[in-house]
Parts: sequence; C-alpha cells; structure tokens
Amino acid sequence: MSNVILEGKNLKKTYRLGRASVCVLTDASLQVEEGQWVTILGSSGSGKSTALHLLGGLDRPDKENGGIVHFRGESIWHQSNRRINKYRNKDIGFVFQFYHLLPELSVLENIVLPAMVGGLGFARASAKSRAISLLEKFGLGHRISHRPRELSGGERQRVAIARALINEPSILLADEPTGNLDEKTGGEILDVLSTLHKEGLTIVLVTHNIEIAQRGDVVVRLRHGQIDRPATLAH
Amino acid sequence: MYQLLLTTKYLTSRVIPLIAVAAVGLCVALVIVVVSVMSGFLNMVQSSGRTLMGDVVITYGISGLPHYGGLITHLEDNENIFAATPIVDGWGLLRMPYPDSKAKQSETVQVWGIEPISFAKVTSFDKSLQWKTPTENQMEWLLFDAITENQDTLRRAMGDDEWEELVVIVNDASGALNYESVMLWERVQKILDDEQWSLVLSFDERLSNPDAIFQQGLSLSQNGSEGIVSGLHVSEGNERQKDGSYRVVRNDYWWLPRYDATLTMLPVDAGGGVIEPESIIMPFVNEFQSGVFMIDESRVFVPINIAQQLLHLDQAEIVDENDPTEILGIDPAKATSILVRGIPGTSADDLQIIVEQLYDEFVSSLPLHTLVLPPSRSNPGLTIHTWEEQQRSFTGPVEKERELMRTLFSIVYLVVAALILSIFWSIVFEKTRDIGILRSMGASRGSIVWIFLQYSLVIGIIGSSLGLLVGWLITKNINSIHDAMGNPPLGIAVGSFALAFVVAVYTVSKAKSGQMLPIVLGGLGLVVFCGIGALVLFIKSVGGLIIWDASVYYFSIIPNEVDWPSSLVTVCGAILFCLIGAVIPAAKAADTDPVKALRHE
Ligand SMILES: Nc1ncnc2c1ncn2[C@@H]1O[C@H](COP(=O)(O)OP(=O)(O)OP(=O)(O)O)[C@@H](O)[C@H]1O
Ligand SMILES: [Mg+2]
Repeated sequence: MSNVILEGKNLKKTYRLGRASVCVLTDASLQVEEGQWVTILGSSGSGKSTALHLLGGLDRPDKENGGIVHFRGESIWHQSNRRINKYRNKDIGFVFQFYHLLPELSVLENIVLPAMVGGLGFARASAKSRAISLLEKFGLGHRISHRPRELSGGERQRVAIARALINEPSILLADEPTGNLDEKTGGEILDVLSTLHKEGLTIVLVTHNIEIAQRGDVVVRLRHGQIDRPATLAH
Repeated sequence: MYQLLLTTKYLTSRVIPLIAVAAVGLCVALVIVVVSVMSGFLNMVQSSGRTLMGDVVITYGISGLPHYGGLITHLEDNENIFAATPIVDGWGLLRMPYPDSKAKQSETVQVWGIEPISFAKVTSFDKSLQWKTPTENQMEWLLFDAITENQDTLRRAMGDDEWEELVVIVNDASGALNYESVMLWERVQKILDDEQWSLVLSFDERLSNPDAIFQQGLSLSQNGSEGIVSGLHVSEGNERQKDGSYRVVRNDYWWLPRYDATLTMLPVDAGGGVIEPESIIMPFVNEFQSGVFMIDESRVFVPINIAQQLLHLDQAEIVDENDPTEILGIDPAKATSILVRGIPGTSADDLQIIVEQLYDEFVSSLPLHTLVLPPSRSNPGLTIHTWEEQQRSFTGPVEKERELMRTLFSIVYLVVAALILSIFWSIVFEKTRDIGILRSMGASRGSIVWIFLQYSLVIGIIGSSLGLLVGWLITKNINSIHDAMGNPPLGIAVGSFALAFVVAVYTVSKAKSGQMLPIVLGGLGLVVFCGIGALVLFIKSVGGLIIWDASVYYFSIIPNEVDWPSSLVTVCGAILFCLIGAVIPAAKAADTDPVKALRHE
C-alpha cells in the first residue's frame, strides 16, 4: 500500500436539479498504485465521468460527507486554489471522449498549451521539442502545423494524449478515449496507451465497454454509485 | 504568456474583433475631430482677438479722445508697454469698382483710420497683407492699365507705325487677358525702345518694383497720396481655392489693387445729428486677410487723417457762436480708440491696470486751462478693456459650447464600453468550452480574466491608434474634405452607381442558389451605393453642401490643428473603457465551471 499514488475515499456527489436531487456517487472508493492501469467499467449514466472529474480535481465532492481525494497522501481539496491548479496542470493529464482541442490553435500549439499555462517552470523551447517528439512517437510528425479540424478523430485523440502528457504528469485520466472512434482506430489509441503504460505511466481509464476493459491491470465496476472491490484480471 | 497566444489567435481568426476595432477607431476619430475643431476654433477666436487689437483697448466712441498723441507718448514711456496706436473708426459706404457687375455696387464697410507704422507694431497688420508681390498675371494687368490710362503720353513718345502695332496688341489683350495669358510684357517690350519702355514703367511703381505693392499696403499710400487697404472678402472677386490660397476671378480682371475706391462716411456732430456725407476717392493699394471672416468681409483701413476728415474728428477751430470770426481756441484731432500692446510676457490683465493708472496720470497732467479735456475714467462712455473682455461676447458662448461638446462626447466612452461588453459577452459564451478546457488544464481564474483584459486592451490600443490616425488625417484635411462636400466630384456618383450595378449583377447571380446571406448583403450594398450616388447628385443639384459657413463661424477656414492633449485623453479614455467593458465578461469567463463547460457538446 505504500505506493498508492491516487486515492478516492467514500466519494459522494449529488447533483441538484431544482428541488430534486440526483445522488450519482453514494460511496465510491478507489485506490490507484503507481504504474498501475486501472479501468473503471460502468454503464452509461452510472457516474463514471463524474468519478473521474472528482479524481482529476475538476469537480468537488459533496460538501457534507463527500469523502476525500488523496494525491500522494495529500487531500487535494484541502489546499489552496493554487495547489488545485497546479494539480490539474502538472500532476494529472486528462483525455476526453470529444478530444477538446482548441480550434484556433495548431496541433503543436494545442500540445504546448498546458506547458504555457503552467508558466515559466517550463522553458518554451524544451516544451516544444518535447511536443514534437511526442507527435513523432504517435506518428503525427507531419501534422505539426495543422488545425484540429483538419485531422481525423483518431489523430485528434492522439494529439489530445500528447497534450495530456506534455507536462509529464504522474497519472493520465482518460474518459472514454475511444468512445467516439471506430473499433480499429480505438484499438490504435489503446495501443498507444499500452505503450505508455509499459513505459511506466499510471493510467485511470473509464469505459462502458468490457472489451476495452481487458486492457487494464485492474478493473473495477461502478454500480449504484459505488465502486466494487478491485479484481485483478487474469490474463 | 499563453494569453498572448490566444489573444492573437482570437483576434486574427474572427471578424467580430475587427468590427470592434473599427468601431472603437471611429468613436475615437469622431471625438478627436470634433474636439480639435472646437479647440482650434476657440484658439483662433482668441489669438485673432489679440493680433487684431493688441492687449488692451481704450475706447471713447462717442466723440473721440482728444490729445491722443500725448496719451500715446505717455503710455509708450512705460516700460511694460511695447506700443500703442490710435484708431478712428466709423461706418462708411464703399463703392466697389467691379468693371462689369451690377451686383454689389456699394458695400457697407467698417472703416478703421490707422497710423500704419504704430498700428503694425501693435497688431500683425504687416503679416495680414494679402499681396506681397503681384502674380505674373496681375503684372500683365498692371502693364495693361499703365498703357491704357496713359495712352496720350505714350502716343506722343511713339512713331505712328509702332503706335498702330501697340494698339493692336493692347486691343487683343483687352479681349483675351481675362481668360488667358497673352504674354503682354514680352510683346510690348519687343516693339518699344528702351526710352519708351522706361516711360511705360514710370507710370506705375509696381511695374519696376514688384515689392512696391507690399510697401504701399504697409504705408497706406501710393505715389505719395493716400490709399485704402480692404479686407479680402470685401471684394466679390477673391475666391478661396482648395489649398486655402486665394485667386481672383476672371484671371485677375477683378483684382482690386487695379482700381480706385470711392469711400463715403457720415460725420456726426456733437449733438449726434448727421452732417452732410463726405466722400473721397482713393486707390486700393492692397488687401488684408485677418482670418476672421466678419472682419475680412467688412473692414477697410485708411490713413487716420482721412478717417478724421471724413468723420470731422480732425483738428478744428472753436469759434464764438455769436461771432464766427472770433476764434476761441483749437479743438484737437481725436481718436475713437487706442490699442495698446504690452511687452512679451505681460498679461493683458496686468496691462489693463497699468493702462488705467497711466490714463489717470495723463488726464490729471493736462494743464487746467485746456479747452477740450479727455473724459475722466468715471465717464461711462470710456472703457479700458483687455482684448478678452472686448471679445467676450463671442468667446464666452464658444467656450461653453466646447465644454458641452466634451461632456456630450463622453457618452462615446459608454458606447465603447457597451460595445466591448456585448462583443465579449458573446465571445465568452461562444468560447465556454475552450475556457473549460483551459481551466481543466490548470489555468487560474486570474489568468482567464487576463486573457480577456489583454484581448480588450489590444482591441482598445489598435482601435484607438487607428482612430487617432484617422482623426488626425481628417482634421488635417478637413478643409479639402469640406470643399469636396461643397462640390462633390461627379466621379464619386458615377463610381458608386457602377459599383451598385456590379453588386446588383452579383446579387442576381447569387440569388439563384437561394442563399439568404448573399442576397441580404447584396441588397444592402445596392442601397448603400445607390444612396451615395444619389446623395452626391442631390448635393450637386442644390449647389453643394456647406456646413462650415464662414459668415456664421467667423473664420473662412475650418481649424485643422489636432488638439493633442484632448486627443491623448480620448485615446487613453477609449482604452480604459475597453477594459471596463471587458471586465464583466472576463469575470464571467473566469467563473466557468470546467465540468459544466466540458459537457457542452
Ligand atoms: N450537472 C449535472 N446536473 C444534473 N445531473 C447531472 C449533471 N452531470 C451529470 N448528471 C447526471 O449524473 C449522471 C452521471 O453522469 P456521468 O456523465 O458521470 O455518467 P457517465 O457514466 O459518464 O455516462 P456516459 O457513459 O454516458 O458518459 C447522469 O445521470 C447525468 O444525467
Ligand atoms: Mg461520461
């Protein structure tokens, strides 16, 4: 247990819709160890994205008894706004189902953007060369100055992954990264993730697809607002 | 740092910010032009006041100040006073010499009798003289006049054949000179021998010495006798050109210094009754342009002694009423006002106090038995005013008007702020997802605010710099623009109808596809271009549009100096209000919830 890097404890999230309230997560707990690939499997609307947003510091658990998110043993929500921004920027990388690239920026600019947002810590030139080597690694070396809309879905998702990795985060959080792609392209994306995982990257992936879930070291199920006990997949 | 990247991308990848830039620019340009013209106008009114009447004016208009010579000597002895000059003013009728016009045979003019030398010291009379030397064409006319007016003398000095030849040349010239150049000098010089030529030149000093016209204007005399200098707009013949210079109509045919004037004035006796009108014939020796239309249109300068004679303010004997042969004494010549100029650096207000003191000193220094005493300062007819007080009647309202304008135009700032606010609101709304992405990658609220502030700053700076440039260009060229509006080139009408035609063809060809936007744009373009064309034709048909009417605004040219301090304030204000307009949308953007924004698909 010493190498647990990210931990969600008794997470609870309720959405309010006027008078009615929907309790999406009731008591979800999850531990991610360094270098692990954890897959969260759940049906549509079960709260997978919600759980991932909580883990990634994009959203807060409920105020009362909402549980805590620990990163390297520190509660991310019990610190300054600045720490949260740094957490989002440096410690995790987020990959979304719909890529979410900025349409006005070129591929390269999109990738370098988090380094620029992170500020002076990253020299611009080194971020740029890192971005280029990531693109080359993903087979997109010739697409550097293209606009996102000129790329295919698979290419866009690879750009999004490169962007998530630019600040060398400890964990990659991927929310149905293949949800919008055909099987073959999705497979290619997963291959990319596998390669990264082999290189030592910690990954938390969310999907509703059991086949995709085969890829992870650990698969957990999200049901009724709770995360089942982890079960190591037998290969 | 990343904000700059986004700002440039947002700026170059869409049309709305360009429209914002243009709108800010137009607002700024508008304010700069209006405020510059107003300030320039005020400056012109004020500086013209000073150059036209010195710093302080002593007036006693009813019957004139006696012993003014002594008073002037006493004033000029003071170390704060640079010069003082007497004026005799009154209204007169000037018969205009237009050779072939029924219109404006006589003009009502304000006659100023002056002592030219001291007058030029107190005012900038010398600089205001219009004709420094005659133009080439005017020289032709002067030669023509010299020959025709002295033909008898010339005839006697010439042989029959030469004379016949000269008559042919001069007759040719008389028909043609008023519309084209005829080379009169060359042709006449060719047939005359040296002696005859110098005889011709001796008829008019201006022929051999072109500078003479300026000297004559400065001394108000020609060949030893008195002459008259009239305002440039007294004559119908002077036309302002686009570049601000003046040209005399019909190829200088109506050039006043060719002619004589008949000036008639109505003297008034001690009781205020009118005596027989007095007339005098004098040559026009030059014309002046003060720049103040009201003055250039109605004022003429004559030597002071002429004005005194015509108004009966000259020196006279006082006789016994019962026995007109009994001379009781001398009634000295009088001046209706005295203009005083201080040495550089003295304020008009200080000078006024000094002049008041000196005046009292002077009056009390006169011997007790003096027959005709100047009025004491308690006399309500006597005023000692600074030029500002003298001008107050029309600088006051202008100053108020300028302040009003400034206040009204501050609304432009609100327009700028509202504009930026609405544009940015829509940008923030449209860019919600992008902001969510930025927030999800760790951008702080402050840095999001800064994106939009920087964005608005760039729009403000580019827009208001453009506005400054446009405002500067318009202000500098405002007179030509105004002239062009007064007489719009037909080419504009033709051009816009041609464009309208092109647009119409384009619209019809596009209309087939059934798309709405090209049809709407085409329709609007059609209306705009036809409108411009029709407007030009309309302006032409009503004989031009004159907004700056010199007879209303006092000056014949529109001030075209940019008021830099006000312009810079306007530019900074516009930038500031761009920022203010952007603050609210920027704050809204910063509060974007990344999760909600990302669900926005
Ligand atoms: N802002 C919100 N307000 C109200 N309800 C919400 C809000 N966001 C999510 N929900 C609800 O919470 C539930 C879980 O949403 P979530 O997006 O986490 O599910 P998901 O497992 O990611 O589904 P999918 O597989 O379709 O992406 C859904 O029923 C959704 O309607
Ligand atoms: Mg989801």
